[in-house]
Parts: sequence; C-alpha cells; structure tokens
Amino acid sequence: MKVNPIAVRQSVLTMLYQGKASHLGSNMSAIEMLVAMYSSVDCKKIQENAKDRSRILVSKGHCAAATYATMAHFGILPMAALETYHKDGSVLAGHVSHEVKGVEHSTGALGHGINVAVGCALGMRSRGITDAKVLALVGDGEIQEGSIWEALMFAVHAKLNNFIVLVDNNRISSITNTEKVINMHPLAARFQGFGLNVHEVDGHSVRAIQSAIESIQTQDKPGVIICNTVKGKDVPFAEWQPIWHYKSLTDEQYREAHAHLESLKVNS
Amino acid sequence: MREQIINSIYTHMKDNSDVFFVTADMGINLVEKFQETYPERYANVGIAEQNMVGVCAGLANLGYRPFAYTISNFAIHRCFEQIRNDIGIHNYPITLLGTSTGYDNAPLGPTHHIIDEWGVAKSIPQIDIYCPSSVSYAARLVERILERNKPAYIRIPKGNHEQPVADDHIVHIEGQKQDILLVSYGNLVQECLEVRKKDPSVSVLVVNRLRPLDEQVLKNALVPYKKIFIVEDHFPESGLYGSLCEFVARYPIQGRLISLAPRDYTMDVGTSPKYFFEKYGLNASGIARSIEQVLKG
Ligand SMILES: [Mg+2]
Repeated sequence: MKVNPIAVRQSVLTMLYQGKASHLGSNMSAIEMLVAMYSSVDCKKIQENAKDRSRILVSKGHCAAATYATMAHFGILPMAALETYHKDGSVLAGHVSHEVKGVEHSTGALGHGINVAVGCALGMRSRGITDAKVLALVGDGEIQEGSIWEALMFAVHAKLNNFIVLVDNNRISSITNTEKVINMHPLAARFQGFGLNVHEVDGHSVRAIQSAIESIQTQDKPGVIICNTVKGKDVPFAEWQPIWHYKSLTDEQYREAHAHLESLKVNS
Repeated sequence: MREQIINSIYTHMKDNSDVFFVTADMGINLVEKFQETYPERYANVGIAEQNMVGVCAGLANLGYRPFAYTISNFAIHRCFEQIRNDIGIHNYPITLLGTSTGYDNAPLGPTHHIIDEWGVAKSIPQIDIYCPSSVSYAARLVERILERNKPAYIRIPKGNHEQPVADDHIVHIEGQKQDILLVSYGNLVQECLEVRKKDPSVSVLVVNRLRPLDEQVLKNALVPYKKIFIVEDHFPESGLYGSLCEFVARYPIQGRLISLAPRDYTMDVGTSPKYFFEKYGLNASGIARSIEQVLKG
C-alpha cells in the first residue's frame, strides 16, 4: 500500500486545527517515519489483531495525531474517526491510546513505550513468532530518559534482532533545542557504544527509513535508526520553532498551512 | 513464605505455558531453576526495575502472565509511573513480587525499610494487593492470582509461619470476649497471636488480601468489637488503618479504631525487626501495653 506523507500531513493539520490541539511540531516531524513503519509491516494483521502481527509502539505518545492519521491512511482506522480527535467523548486523545483499535499501548509519559516494545520483542521470540518485528518510535528529547537506556541494554544483551528503534531526531525537545539542554552528540556513536546496529537517514525519506528497517532485520542484534527530521516539517511558520510544541492553529494559520501542503501535494 | 510462592509459580509453569518469570537480578538459590527448566519463559533484566515493568507489559501484550521479582521497595517506589501507566491503565495481569516487608531488612537502613510501599500501590485502582501471613495462605496464592486475571502485588514477608492454618483472605480468630480485636497482616500477625496466647479474651483478624477487602466478611468481623487495634509495619494513613477508616465511614461500626504503626522513617540501626517492633510498640508486649492503656481510658 502506498501512502503519500503529504496527505497524512494534511489530515494531521486538520485534526490539530479542528481539535484545537498542540504538539504540531512533533507530529509533523514524525510522519515519514510512521509511514515507513506501517509500510514495513502487515497492516491487515494489525487490523485483525492477529497474534503474530508486528507491533508498532509509539513511545513519544504526543505524536498521537500523526499516529492515528497514518493508521487511517493505511486502512487500520476509519478516516471518519480522525474527526473526533481531541474532542469530547472521543477515545482519540492527545496522547496515543490503546482504546483505539490497532494501537498496541497507551503512552504519554516518556521512556515507557520502548520498554514495552522490548517486552513484546522478547515475548514474540518466546512464542516462536519469527515473521514479525517490533518497531518503537522515540523522540530525541525522550532519549534523555534513563529508562530508554535500560531498554536498549537489555535488548542488546538478549540479542533481540526483531527490535528496531526509530529516533525522531528533530533536535528540539520541549522548550528549546536538545543540544542546548543535553547535547547527545555524537548520537550514533552513543548507540553504537551500547552495541546496537545503527543507521542514520533522512527522516523525511520513507524509502531510506524502510530500507534501513529491512537491513537491520538481517542482523543478529537490535537496531536504531536515527531519522534526521525537521520539527514542524512542511508548515513553514512552525519549522524549527519550539513554541509549536504548545500552540494551536488560528484560522489564518490553518488556511496558510493548508494551502502550502496543497501546493506540495500538487508538486509531489 | 517466599518459597511457597516462588515454587508454586514454578509448578504452574509446567501446565500453564503463559506464565513468564522475570527478575531484576534478585533471588539467588531460588530463581535458577526457572532458567534451567524454562529458559524461554525466564528473563533476568538486570538492575533495571523500570525496564522490568515495561518488559512485563510487553509480555502481557503477547498474552503472557508475567511475575516480576525484586525487593518490594524497588518494585513499587522505583517503578510507580510504569505501574500506573503500563500495568494499571492497561489492566494487564502482571504480578509484582516484592520480597521483604516492614523491617525485614532491619540493619540495612531506611531505604530498605519497607513501611510505605503498598499504600503507594493502593493508589492505583486496578491492583490487587496481598500480604500473606502464613505458609498455607502463601501456598494457594499464585493459583488464586492466576484465576483472577488482574494486576497484583504480593508483599512477601520473610518467614515461614505455620499459623494461622486457615487460608482465607480474611481469617477471624475469635477470643473469649468480644471486646478487643487486633487486626494485622504479614509478620506482625505472629505478635498478635502471641498477645492472644497470653490473653485468650483477645481476638485477632488476619487480613491476607489487603485489596480488595472482602467487605461482608470484614463488616461481620468488626461489628461486635469495642476497641479495634490495627497493627502494621507500614505507615497507617496509606496502610490498613487508612483502609479501615474509609470502610467504617461507610458502615455502622461502633468500635474505636486505634493505630499501632510507625509514623516516620528512622535512621536507627536495628539488628533485627525486633528492635523496631519494640521501638514502635508493635511486638506482643508493646501491643499488650497499648491495650492496657486504652482500657484504662
Ligand atoms: Mg524532539
């Protein structure tokens, strides 16, 4: 199934606008990553809740809009569900919720989903499920949480080669640039030092991310894909601006961003 | 009591292929058999308790019934948010096994005095909480937990007490008079039984399952008594005293509730729990003293 990230971005923009929701920056940066993740697994098995499905865990739970929109574009969720995002009585909360069909685990506090993902990878191996994988999406701010490194140490020790972490390296965390808070440079070397198989790719290239996922699966250790992204990608006034972790869109901003995405879609 | 619990998990693993044992590098000369017999359903995640809880949630996602083993304070305090989010919100049937309770680790200092942990667990609605007081209750506990299919925490005291033999969640040992009732759990039940041995008029109520409380049984047990002492190696507000205060606010119980419990951390070294039982009046003589004072008015 081929999904156009710009179309997903449009859905996300509308969800955030209509739901008066925040986290625009981190939702926009992760879209190609999510599209690549769902492209790499059998979505039908996710939809059917098959025991041997691949597991996708969104550890940076605040990119819920992007997660739900991507799932809808892959046919796991009905498109109409997206209209309820961030609204009264909906189960589509501003953080990823397992009340939504097809979501593995509720997240929102950082440094949780990746550990659950490791447990899934271990459980899949114990159950003899070999034709599936576990993909965990984490933020570059999120990896400041110590529990992230507990998960990685164990995954490497247990040789969980069905386990792949994707880091949304948008280089901004909550209020400012990550390098000003905790400089993680050189990031790839840090992951390598922990024994992981490390790839670094353009986080806005679905093809590059997908091929990294495929190559990790042939190794005997878990992998990390550092996806270099732009926070607020394709929303010109929001790109690289930390404040778009918190703001919601005005009518004017929505129209401007929507028109820009339309032009990108026409040109893509 | 730890042996009964660990051994019954091991026994259940034979016929129940969903049982998975996870340790945070604890349980020397106890957990090795899991790795030897069931290597595919055993994991030592290392000194990384937060990861242990997350891993258990992932295993539960795969349909496993994980049992996670470490010292009580590490299991609960260190992992509170993991327990809340990854177990509680998901209502995953994960059992946390916490070894040591109260002052079991007496000389090791306040970080290892486990006097405030189940009250923390109690704040998460989904979790059943157990504290066995005898080997007979401990021996049946895993079977009961597997039947309930819910999150659980077992606070496992050091010791192998034969009494009480009854293995109910609440055991009512009635005295000759319906005047004084001692309510307790875990190791302090032995001190209460000691009081009763000297004064057969005293009754003892053993609460092996701290949540949910069997309210009908509890009501019937509490109603007759005038003075109800809650004896615990845990802070009272978040402990059983707090639970019973909440309970009697809803039911017409006439008796007065009196807490015997520590109320703060201590930097004292005690070479055994006895030191702290004496310090806080939780041993048989301390309890007897408190009874005497209360009766004097
Ligand atoms: Mg970031």
